[in-house]
Amino acid sequence: MKLPQGGKSELTFVGSLFLLGFIVFWDTYSVELPAFNLTISPKVFPYAVAALLMTLSAILFVNVLRGDTAVPEGHFEGTPIEKSDYRAFSLVLASLLAFLLLIERAGFIVAASVTFFGITVAFGNKRHGRSAIFGTLFITLVYLSFTKFLNVPLPAGIFKGLL
Amino acid sequence: MSNFQSLIDGFASALTLTNLGFGLLGTFLGTLVGVLPGIGPALAIALLLPITYTVSPASALIMFASIYYGAMYGGSTTSILLNTPGESGSVITALEGNKMARRGRAGAALATAAIGSFIAGTIATFVLAFTAPSIADLAIQVGSADYVALMLVAFTTVSSLLGASQIRGFISLTIGISLGLVGADLQSGLSRMTFGSDAALEGIATVTVIVSIFALGEALYLASRFKDSGWKVIPMKGKALMSRDDWKRSWKPWIRGTFLGFPLGVVPAGGSEVPTFLSYSLEKKLSKHPEEFGEGAIEGVAGPEAANNANAAGALVPLLALGLPTSATAAVILVAFQTYQIQPGPTLFLTNGALIWTLIASLFIGNALLLILNLPLVRVWVQLLRIPRPYLFAGIVTFALMGSYAVKTSIFDVQVAIAIGVVGFLFRRFGMPITPLILGLILGPNLELQFRRALQISGGDYGTLIASPLSKILYIVLFIALFTPVIARVMRKVRKDAHA
Repeated sequence: MKLPQGGKSELTFVGSLFLLGFIVFWDTYSVELPAFNLTISPKVFPYAVAALLMTLSAILFVNVLRGDTAVPEGHFEGTPIEKSDYRAFSLVLASLLAFLLLIERAGFIVAASVTFFGITVAFGNKRHGRSAIFGTLFITLVYLSFTKFLNVPLPAGIFKGLL
Repeated sequence: MSNFQSLIDGFASALTLTNLGFGLLGTFLGTLVGVLPGIGPALAIALLLPITYTVSPASALIMFASIYYGAMYGGSTTSILLNTPGESGSVITALEGNKMARRGRAGAALATAAIGSFIAGTIATFVLAFTAPSIADLAIQVGSADYVALMLVAFTTVSSLLGASQIRGFISLTIGISLGLVGADLQSGLSRMTFGSDAALEGIATVTVIVSIFALGEALYLASRFKDSGWKVIPMKGKALMSRDDWKRSWKPWIRGTFLGFPLGVVPAGGSEVPTFLSYSLEKKLSKHPEEFGEGAIEGVAGPEAANNANAAGALVPLLALGLPTSATAAVILVAFQTYQIQPGPTLFLTNGALIWTLIASLFIGNALLLILNLPLVRVWVQLLRIPRPYLFAGIVTFALMGSYAVKTSIFDVQVAIAIGVVGFLFRRFGMPITPLILGLILGPNLELQFRRALQISGGDYGTLIASPLSKILYIVLFIALFTPVIARVMRKVRKDAHA
């Protein structure tokens, strides 16, 4: 049997949804109930959700096998699906992870500036020097206006005591 | 005290200098963020949420009302000049308005969209002011079991009507409910789906999910895809004005759009997609120039835009009166209310009456401010469309990450945000609608609460769920929505017509 284009990766995706349903089921099953008595166990609802998720993803799995593959957002039915650009995708993801790693170690200004720069590269900006300078200035401005005027606490990191 | 008197009092408190200032700021920010391509109203409001943490509830709600309407106005400008609809309700505007702009009629398209939005918003807010309290009065007698039925109906219609595939809608919903399970169970203290993490005990912050699934998911998706398809802004000649003929052709579609959009916002019909598509096909049928449709017919902008705005106001009725959001944007507003410990629902008009009437009054004021802000100043907003795409997305992503960190000043929320961003990417790639996930996340815990409350009252007898007449009617509606593909078929046909 031949699957339409993109069918295999969709089957993996739908399979992982089934797995998610199973995780909900397993987590609910393995947790210990409190000693006191409740009319309705806190497990009933999660069990129902897990069962529903597993059933629905099993049905979708079969549907995909039968040829009901997804129409990606922004596409129309019937048009070919181009292959994803994994380089740009990974660059965006790496920029997000950089923020996660740097925010509490180096502070908001460093973390957000790195992320900002990474995203401009991923979206095809060529003038790197310009975007790095603009990004850092913009982020510093955002940092100052949020911490000084709106009292939203953001970590100063390496600039502690300076700004 | 009559509703009319309450509304007058609402105006009195909305028109104080401070509150008017916040209203103006809200309309400004809402339009600003709404104009930015790739940002729909739901994301716009979620991104601006941290700004309101430091102001009083009344001022914050006024700001939100203005942001809500402002983001809708801004969104239509982008749709017309860029053909990148930020949300499903603007798809039609993008389709027909962009064609008008290409033919050098951008000014007329922008004007009919703005004036139509103003008229629809004003009429719809009036109807809202006089229906929401009565619905709330009726809803006070609604019991837990009825609420369960009501939420299930909302879930079913939203999942069935959005997107092309019913089953994908339901899976999206179920994943949202699963995310809502994470954390300590409020009644028993049982920790669910936390996998030993202490930070997860508090549950997953809804703001984090909304911001990251829209902003981060969109960035990941667009980076992996439409890389070369840059944006082409259509230059706007002249002023945003309409000729006498434009007025003659616009006013009826405005009114029809309003009365189509409002009721479909009140009932959970899956947001603004259905009414805008219906309004489009209605105008096409009634028009004397059906051949212009698809080539830039002004009726095709006027009707759907009015329907879209009236729909947004209509969605506030179940939100305020029942605490039931029926669209992603309404769901974000519910979260905004909850940050101020205000729970929308039947008792809202009793407990927070003054506040809510101020909110409704500021909807009128915001709407009027927006007309002024958008017609003469539209050129200022158009400049925003010139921001290069890489910078725009870099800005959106850093703001989203900052927002998710700032909610609780915790690194856990950043981890959640990135994970949800990847989920958002997968959802877009595999054609899963996002709104059901958000509704599931926000209403899931509420559904469980009402479900358990109903069963506790009945001593564990499941029959209680279908005991009342109201719940019986609701379950019949649910089955009709589930198993009659009529609505879905009509939608598909309308959609095909619109694209043809």
